[in-house]
Amino acid sequence: MKLNDHVQNLGARVFTIQVLAFVLLTLLGSRLYYLQIVKGDYYSERAENQRIRLIPIPAPRGAIFDRNGKLLVDSRPTYNVVLSNEPLKNINVNDRVDDYSRGLGLERQFVVERLNLIKKQNEFEAMVLKENVGIQDITWVESHSLEFPELRVELQPQRHYPLGTSLAHVLGYVGEISPKQLEDPAMQEKGFRPGDIIGKGGLEQYYDEFLRGRPGYRKVVVDSRGRVQAEVEKVDPQSGQDLVTTIDYDLQLAAENELANSSTKRGTIIAMDPNTGGILAMASAPSFDPNIFVQGSSTPEGRRQIAAYWQDEKRPLYNRAIQGRYPPGSTWKIPESMGALIQGVITPTHSNMACGGGITIGSKFTRCMGSHGSPPLSYAITKSCDGYYYRLGLKMGVDGLINMIETFGYDKRSGIDLPNEKVPQTPKTWMPYILKHEGKWSDIRTVYASIGQDTVVVTPISMLRAVASIGMHGKMYTPHFLQEFRAIGPVGEEGDSTYMPARPNFGFQHPEPKIIPMTDDQYDVMVKGMWGVVNGGGTAGAIRIAGFDIAGKTGTAQVAELGKDSGKNKDHAWFVSFAPAFKPEIAVIALIENSGFGGANAAPAARAIYSAYIAKKGLPKTDGQEVASR
Amino acid sequence: MVAILEKRDLRDLDWQTAVLAIMIAAFGVWQIHNAAPDQNFWTKQIYGIGIALVAFVVVAFTDYRRLIDSAPVFYVIGLILLFLVLTPLGVTVNGQKAWVRLPLVGQFQPSEFVKIPTVLMLAKYYGSRKSAALSFKEMMIGGAIFAGPVGLILLEPDAGQAITYFPILAAMFFLSGIKVRYVVLAIVAAAIFIPGAWMVGVKTGKIKTYQQERINAILDPDSVDPRGYGYHTIQSTITVGKGGLSGIKGETDVSQSVLKFLPEPHSDSIFAVTAENTGFIGCVSLLLAYALLLSRMIAGARQASDRAGMLVIMSIVCGMAFQIFMNVGMALGALPVIGVPLPLMSAGLSAILSTFVAIGFVVSVKLRRFVN
Repeated sequence: MKLNDHVQNLGARVFTIQVLAFVLLTLLGSRLYYLQIVKGDYYSERAENQRIRLIPIPAPRGAIFDRNGKLLVDSRPTYNVVLSNEPLKNINVNDRVDDYSRGLGLERQFVVERLNLIKKQNEFEAMVLKENVGIQDITWVESHSLEFPELRVELQPQRHYPLGTSLAHVLGYVGEISPKQLEDPAMQEKGFRPGDIIGKGGLEQYYDEFLRGRPGYRKVVVDSRGRVQAEVEKVDPQSGQDLVTTIDYDLQLAAENELANSSTKRGTIIAMDPNTGGILAMASAPSFDPNIFVQGSSTPEGRRQIAAYWQDEKRPLYNRAIQGRYPPGSTWKIPESMGALIQGVITPTHSNMACGGGITIGSKFTRCMGSHGSPPLSYAITKSCDGYYYRLGLKMGVDGLINMIETFGYDKRSGIDLPNEKVPQTPKTWMPYILKHEGKWSDIRTVYASIGQDTVVVTPISMLRAVASIGMHGKMYTPHFLQEFRAIGPVGEEGDSTYMPARPNFGFQHPEPKIIPMTDDQYDVMVKGMWGVVNGGGTAGAIRIAGFDIAGKTGTAQVAELGKDSGKNKDHAWFVSFAPAFKPEIAVIALIENSGFGGANAAPAARAIYSAYIAKKGLPKTDGQEVASR
Repeated sequence: MVAILEKRDLRDLDWQTAVLAIMIAAFGVWQIHNAAPDQNFWTKQIYGIGIALVAFVVVAFTDYRRLIDSAPVFYVIGLILLFLVLTPLGVTVNGQKAWVRLPLVGQFQPSEFVKIPTVLMLAKYYGSRKSAALSFKEMMIGGAIFAGPVGLILLEPDAGQAITYFPILAAMFFLSGIKVRYVVLAIVAAAIFIPGAWMVGVKTGKIKTYQQERINAILDPDSVDPRGYGYHTIQSTITVGKGGLSGIKGETDVSQSVLKFLPEPHSDSIFAVTAENTGFIGCVSLLLAYALLLSRMIAGARQASDRAGMLVIMSIVCGMAFQIFMNVGMALGALPVIGVPLPLMSAGLSAILSTFVAIGFVVSVKLRRFVN
């Protein structure tokens, strides 16, 4: 047929169709060039990102032991339901809230929080949706793997505190890193991610970086449903280092027992080796169960219990040994006396001061509990004569007291290896404030400060450390729990990018003890006075142990004015001590809140610790007869 | 119907077109294997190609003029088949009722086959007309012939297949001497009407959300939900891009199709599979092969001994070119997702059979180029 028909111009029309077809094919070719040549690497990466997933392998955290190898904390395997964010990307997460909360029995609010948190993370991140799940939840997740590919069940070692409330304040607990902590640049630098478990409080927090293991991971290929198809790479985790503490759990139990049987069941007992600063026991009552923080944070009743801990007026979460600040009462007389000796305000041979049954400042009379004539220092300590110390304080002046405060480090933390230690408050702290508001530091404040009241509140640990240093002839050690971190071997091949080198063992890096300069005479007069408190008819005579000479000092710290000092406002009872008096092996402080007289309430508690110590170690060879020879 | 093979027939047969089509189909088998190596789609396709080649030979050696004469019979049979889809004999696959199951024959997709009777019917009507500009009445009659099958397909509903019929009618009108001013008018009207209809449709809700999403996935791929309606487009684009210059090598076990990120890899997404496995080089080669095949067919149209033969070839060319463009454009994320198979490549008995029958017609027309 003739295509060159004039009217229809068929040849040109066929040609037009041919050109059009070629133009369309060329368009496709150029789009191909753009996608494959120009953006090829970009799409390769996107394809890889959607098929590669990193599944972390959690590393077991180091266990914690006492000095005799008793297990205090370990980890045990549990199953968690984990939420990974990659399959959730660009899904309206609100669609999942009801499914999750119904399927796993979670609170809606909690599910919403979790989903919002995970959405903010990078691809392939995962976080725990429900901890410690049972077979029912595992089955639910497995049977809904097609619907919810973002959920999976993961084996996770969970921190376990076999002792429950015992030693809780020292051990602390672990928990998920908080959003606030994540914002801290220092934490970001260490590579923390949401959902990471970190130490919170106590040794768990202080030594987190050593207790913490280094997680490994599995790099896997997944299909569009998120099902694992193949493993590309596996890096084993490295366990955390085991921590051996200086704690002697028998003494710890004795201390906790004493607090539990005390009249108010509130207080703290610390036992320390004065020769090193190693803490043998540290009890604080009331206590809490760290397991509730570990297991309960995702369950409604667990969170109720945690909230109850926070709201409890008795403050069970607070470690009274290092965070409690109490007026020291008469225990304050020990560092004060030593300070006066060092400053030369009194000397071992000329230390007598009038008791006077009290003192009149202006128009106000402040009384002594007894009438002691004009005693020497040792007798003033033994009998806890307030009148003596009113006058000694005035003689030292507030500057002398501040000088003493600095000598014994009451203006600083003790440096114990626990977080959140409080600094005592003393006239040194208050001075600028008082001068600003009252114009001058009045004598009555000096008088009150001289018996550990008014402007003086100290932590039990600071008091124990100071008093123990006198027993050590002026060597003040840093209190600590760390005895040893055990070594962990390397993981992987050296030279690999995933190689994790060995972590060597190490002990506590003892700082040089602070030296408090004292002469033998000064030391003698102090320790004799303290020896007399227990062994020489003093305020704690009732706790004397034959063959084991305790040197100590009672304290009865006023909480409220006289006349209102009953019930809730009863005095705090103190007893601070070391033994044997002239060759100390152990120093003990006991504080029973609002229980009344120190000699009657705190001293017997301390005695129980000494008894436990003797029961274990036997009586020392050099006994109390030594005192007589001096 | 089967003609006696003569020596002249074999000599004049367009071997090149036939071989080209078979090569593309063989390449397609390889890609179907790549799409799902552990399934038997590729063996089924070989079987389908075998059947299709028999049909091809039968059609090629049959005088197409006799077939065009019988066009009304085929056309009516076609309409009946399409009607059967709407009856309980219709079979739903992937949520779409486009198949029919007949005793002895088995299950097939009538909308794929009915293209041929439609082409024949239109060619019969327009092939006999005089050389003059197309009149309005002639357009209406053509339109009515066309409306029968397309209307039934839209009732299934299978909009994707229905769209592939339009190039047939367009080619008929264009090559039957429709006035150029009408063509221009139609293009201008489409340019105004389509966006206008889109806006009205979105506002009134006549265009459903999933349909809007499919369009939005093209216009703005970053803003759509990549797990929802944008998923197909995005995964297809990733798969194509990943292929790079020469395709993935040795990573076939983690390919987009094996890991099931790419939907419908062996059928509608076969081009993306090709792109992933053979890269830019393989894709451009395939597009060139299509260009060559279309050129051979157009050359046949130019040599056709009568107008009806020319119309048959050109409407097949237009339908095929349109399908290639739609399918590849979809794979490249440039066109919305509609279920259009890639001619000769996509797995599917109905599609491969109807394509080879169509090419058989082309060859048959060419074979009789000297007859007059």
